[in-house]
Amino acid sequence: MSIDLNKDSCPNREQRAGAVNAYFGKASDLVQEARNGTLTNKERDFQQSSGCVLNFYLTTRVVTIRDAVMIVHAPVGCSSTALLYREVYRKIPASEGLPTFDLHWLTTNLDEKDVVYGGADKLRHAILEAEERYKPKAIFIMASCTSGIIGDDIEGVVSETQQEVNATIVPVHCEGIRSRIIQTAYDAFWHAVLKYLVKKDIPKQPDLVNIASMLSYTWQDRQEITRLLNRIGLRPNFIPEFATVEQFEQLGAAAVTAPICPTYTDYLSRGLEQEFGVPYFMYPSPVGIEHTDEWLRVIARHTGKEQEVEELIREERAKWLPKLEKIQHEFAAIKPDGEKVQILGSLGQGRLLTQVPYFEEIGVSSPAAIIQDFDNLVLDEVQQVIDQAGDFDVLVNTFQAAELAHITRKYDPDVALTCPFQGSAYKREKGATRIHAVRGDSREWSAQAGYKGAIAYGNFLLQSVKNKSFQKTLLDKTPDTYKAWWYEQPNPLHYLKKEAV
Amino acid sequence: MGTVSALRVKEEPKYPGIVEAPRYSCALGGAYMAALATFNTVPILHSGAGCGMSQNFGQNFAAGLNDAGPTGNTSTPCSCLVEEHAVFGGEDKLRALIRTTLELVQGELYVVISGCVPALIGDDVPAVVKEFRKDAPIVFVNTAGFLGNSYKGYEQFLDAVIDQLLEPQPVVAKRVNLLGIVPYQHIFWKGNLQVIKDLLAKVGVSANMIFTENSGLEALKSIPSAELNLVLSPWSGVAAAKKLEEKFASPYEVIPTVPVGPKDTTAFLRFIADRLDLDRDEVERVIAAEEHRAYRFSEYMAAITSMALPNAYTAIVADTSTAIGLTRYGSNELGWLPEIVILTDDPPEEYRGEIVRFLTENLASAVTPEVHFEIDSHRIRQLLNEHTVQLVLASSLEKHIATSELQAMQVSVAFPTYDRLIVDRNYAGYRGGLALMEDVAYKYGGPL
Repeated sequence: MSIDLNKDSCPNREQRAGAVNAYFGKASDLVQEARNGTLTNKERDFQQSSGCVLNFYLTTRVVTIRDAVMIVHAPVGCSSTALLYREVYRKIPASEGLPTFDLHWLTTNLDEKDVVYGGADKLRHAILEAEERYKPKAIFIMASCTSGIIGDDIEGVVSETQQEVNATIVPVHCEGIRSRIIQTAYDAFWHAVLKYLVKKDIPKQPDLVNIASMLSYTWQDRQEITRLLNRIGLRPNFIPEFATVEQFEQLGAAAVTAPICPTYTDYLSRGLEQEFGVPYFMYPSPVGIEHTDEWLRVIARHTGKEQEVEELIREERAKWLPKLEKIQHEFAAIKPDGEKVQILGSLGQGRLLTQVPYFEEIGVSSPAAIIQDFDNLVLDEVQQVIDQAGDFDVLVNTFQAAELAHITRKYDPDVALTCPFQGSAYKREKGATRIHAVRGDSREWSAQAGYKGAIAYGNFLLQSVKNKSFQKTLLDKTPDTYKAWWYEQPNPLHYLKKEAV
Repeated sequence: MGTVSALRVKEEPKYPGIVEAPRYSCALGGAYMAALATFNTVPILHSGAGCGMSQNFGQNFAAGLNDAGPTGNTSTPCSCLVEEHAVFGGEDKLRALIRTTLELVQGELYVVISGCVPALIGDDVPAVVKEFRKDAPIVFVNTAGFLGNSYKGYEQFLDAVIDQLLEPQPVVAKRVNLLGIVPYQHIFWKGNLQVIKDLLAKVGVSANMIFTENSGLEALKSIPSAELNLVLSPWSGVAAAKKLEEKFASPYEVIPTVPVGPKDTTAFLRFIADRLDLDRDEVERVIAAEEHRAYRFSEYMAAITSMALPNAYTAIVADTSTAIGLTRYGSNELGWLPEIVILTDDPPEEYRGEIVRFLTENLASAVTPEVHFEIDSHRIRQLLNEHTVQLVLASSLEKHIATSELQAMQVSVAFPTYDRLIVDRNYAGYRGGLALMEDVAYKYGGPL
C-alpha cells in the first residue's frame, strides 16, 4: 500500500498490514496464516491496561525533540508521562557528547467546558503561546481520545494558525482509541514528519544514514553505532528521539534508512523512498555480531563503502570474537550434558528478528517468543529466523500481564526477561532480569547494539543466572495477583473471544 | 518580624488553561492511585487502553520511582476501548471485564473507574456495576479525565466509597481516620501515614490510615466508627470530612500539614490531647521523651547544618501541605529564611487566604515568604529566577534549574520526583526534621 501524504494521517496498522495483537501458536503457522490472509484479530473478555496510540509512548518520545515544543491537545492526564522532560538525557556526561538543550511541552488541559463548546480555540491559543514563549522551530500537536470524540478540527486550526507563527506546525493524529495496535502511533507520527517536516529539493548527503532510534536503545548504543559508521566515513542521523528539527528536515537527503527496529521505522522508511528516493532495508538490525556485520555491509552497499566495511569487520571481529567465545563457554558450562540455558523474552516485533538469532549466537535457547503485535510487514524476515533457529511458539499480546505471568510459568525458562510492563512475571524460582535499558542510560553495561553491545548484553545475561534471591524472595513472600486456577489451565489466551473483530 | 510578606495579586494568564507541565495527572489518575493505595483493591478501568499504563510513569514512577503494586500498571484490568466502542457503546465490554476480573484477580474490593471515553459517549456505568453488587464488594467512581486533576480524583474516590460502601457504625472512642494525604501526589504518603499512626498510638489513639492498612476493605468500612476525622492538609480531604460529618455525624479537624520536626509535632500532640481529652500527664511524658531524643540527635547534625546551609534563603515548590510543613520547620528550627513558596496543587480559591496565613504567620525568621499559586512549570521557573536563593526544596523538575540557573542546592521533596526512590522515607514527626537534614546534607556532602 503506497503512502498518501495528501491524507491527514496514515491508515491504522490493522488496515495497512493486517496487524493483530492476539495469537498463540507456532511461529510457522502464524506466518502462514498472515500470508494466506486468514489471520484475524480477536477481542478478549479479560484485558489489562496496555498503552494507547498516544501513550505508548509518543508523548515521551516527541517531547525530547530538542528545538520543538509538544502540545498535547487533551485532558491533563494524557501528558503526565511527559513530566520526565527536564531530566531525560541529563545524566549523560558532556564527555559522551551531550549537547545543550531545553525541552518544553504544553497541555491544552481540556475540561468540562471544552468538551461541550469545543477545544479548537484553546488549541489555537496554545500554538500562539508556544511560539511566544519558546520560539521553537516546530510545534507538534498530539491529538487525544477527547479531542477526537468532541470533533475538534485540528487541521483547520493548523492551516489558520500556521501563517501567524514561524514554527512549522506538525499535527499528529494519535487519538488513543483510533487503533488496537500501538504501532499505529509510530505510523501516525512518521506520516506527520513526512508530510510537514522533511525538506524536498535539498542537496543529497551521500554519507548520511538515517536511523530511527527506539526508546529501548541507549546512549551507549548510539555511541557504538556512531563509532562504527564514522570508521567507514559515514554519519548517523538518529531520529526522532533527542533529534533537532533540522535532522528531520534532512531525512530525505540521506543515502539510506537503516533499521534498528524495522517495524517501528517501516512507515518512515517506505515514505522516504517513495517521496524522496531514499532506499531502505528492513533486515537485519545491529544486534549480535553476525547481524552487526551484515547490517554494516548493507549500509556499505548503499554508500559505496564495500571495501572499507570489510576491513572494519575484520578488525572488529578480531577484537570481539574472543570475548564472545568466553560468553559462549560460560553459558555452555551452566547446565550439564550440553543442555542450553533457556531465556524467554517479551519483545516488539522488531526485537523478535534480532533477539532470537542473538540468543543462538551466544548459545542460549528461547522456548517461545512473546511479541506485542504482529503484522505482514516482515513475514520473509520472520521466516528467515524460523529457518535459522527452528520453529518456536509465539504469544502475540500487548502487555497483557496475566497472560505473561501464565506463559512464564508454563515454559519456566531459566531466565525471564521482563520490563516494567509485565506485571509480576518476575516473581519466580529462576532467573529474571530486565529486557533492555532505556535511552538516557549511558552506562556501559546497558549497551545492546553493535559489537560492544553484543558483548555487554551477553555478560549482562550471564549475571542473571548467578543469583535469584530477589525474585525468589518476592515469590515466597508476596501473594499472586491471579487465582490458582489460572495457572492450572493450559491456555494463556483463555479469555480470547471466538469471533473476529 | 516579617519584613517581606507580599502576596501578589494573581496574574491573569494570557491564554487561560494552557499549561506547561502541571504537576498532577487527571481525575481518573487520582481515583486510580487512591484505589491502588487501598490494599487488596482491584481497580477496573473503563477507559482507553493507555489510561492505566501511562499513569505508571505519570504518577507512580513520578512519585519517587515507585511501582504501582500488584494490581497497578499493566496488571490493572481495563476495557481498552477503541473507536467502535465510542460508536456503539462500551457497556458490554465493561460487563464482560467485571465478570472475568471477579473470576481471575484476587481482591477484597473492586473499584470501577470510568474515563473520558465512556463519559463522552454516555455509557450507563452505574447500571452495569449494579449487576455485580451481589457477587463482590464493588464501587464505581464516576469520573473522567477532563473533570479535574489527581487531587479531584482522590476526592471522588472517597466520595464513591462514602456513598456506596459505608454504613453507620458505633463510634469507638479515641479512634481517628487520617485524611488529606493524597497517594503519590504527596510523595512521602506511605511514610507520613505510618509515622502519624505510630505517634498517635503512643498517646493511646488508634489511627486508621486507610491507605496501606493491611486490609483495605476493612479500613474503609471502619471509617464511620471514628471519633474524629483528621484532615492533614488545608484543603485536600476537607470535602470528604464534610461529607462524613453530614452522613455519620463524625466531627473533623483540619491540621494544615503533616508535622515536620519536634516543635510542630509536639503542638500536634497537644492539640490531639485537648481535642480527644487524653490524659495530659501521659501525653506530656511521651512528648518529653520524644523531644529529648530528637534534640539529642540534632546535636549530631549541628556542625554540618551550620557549615552547609547556615540561614539559607530557601525556595519551596510543592503541594500545599508539604510546603507548609517544610517552611515551618526550616524557619522555626533550622534557621532558614523562606524566601519564596510556590504551591503547585491548585487549591480552590476559598482556601487560599488561609493557606497564605499558614505560610507567613508564626515564623521565627525575619523573612517571610512570597507565596504563589502556580501550576505552570515555565512560570514557576521564571518566578524562581526572580529570587536569589541558596536551597531549593522542590520537585525534580527544579533539579537542573536549581544548579544551572539559580546556583542553589536542590532536594526533591515534591511531586514529581524522578531522582530518588521513596518507599518508606518521610519527614514527618519528631525524627522527620533529622531525615530532611540527612537528605539535604547528602547533596552537600564531602570532606571539609
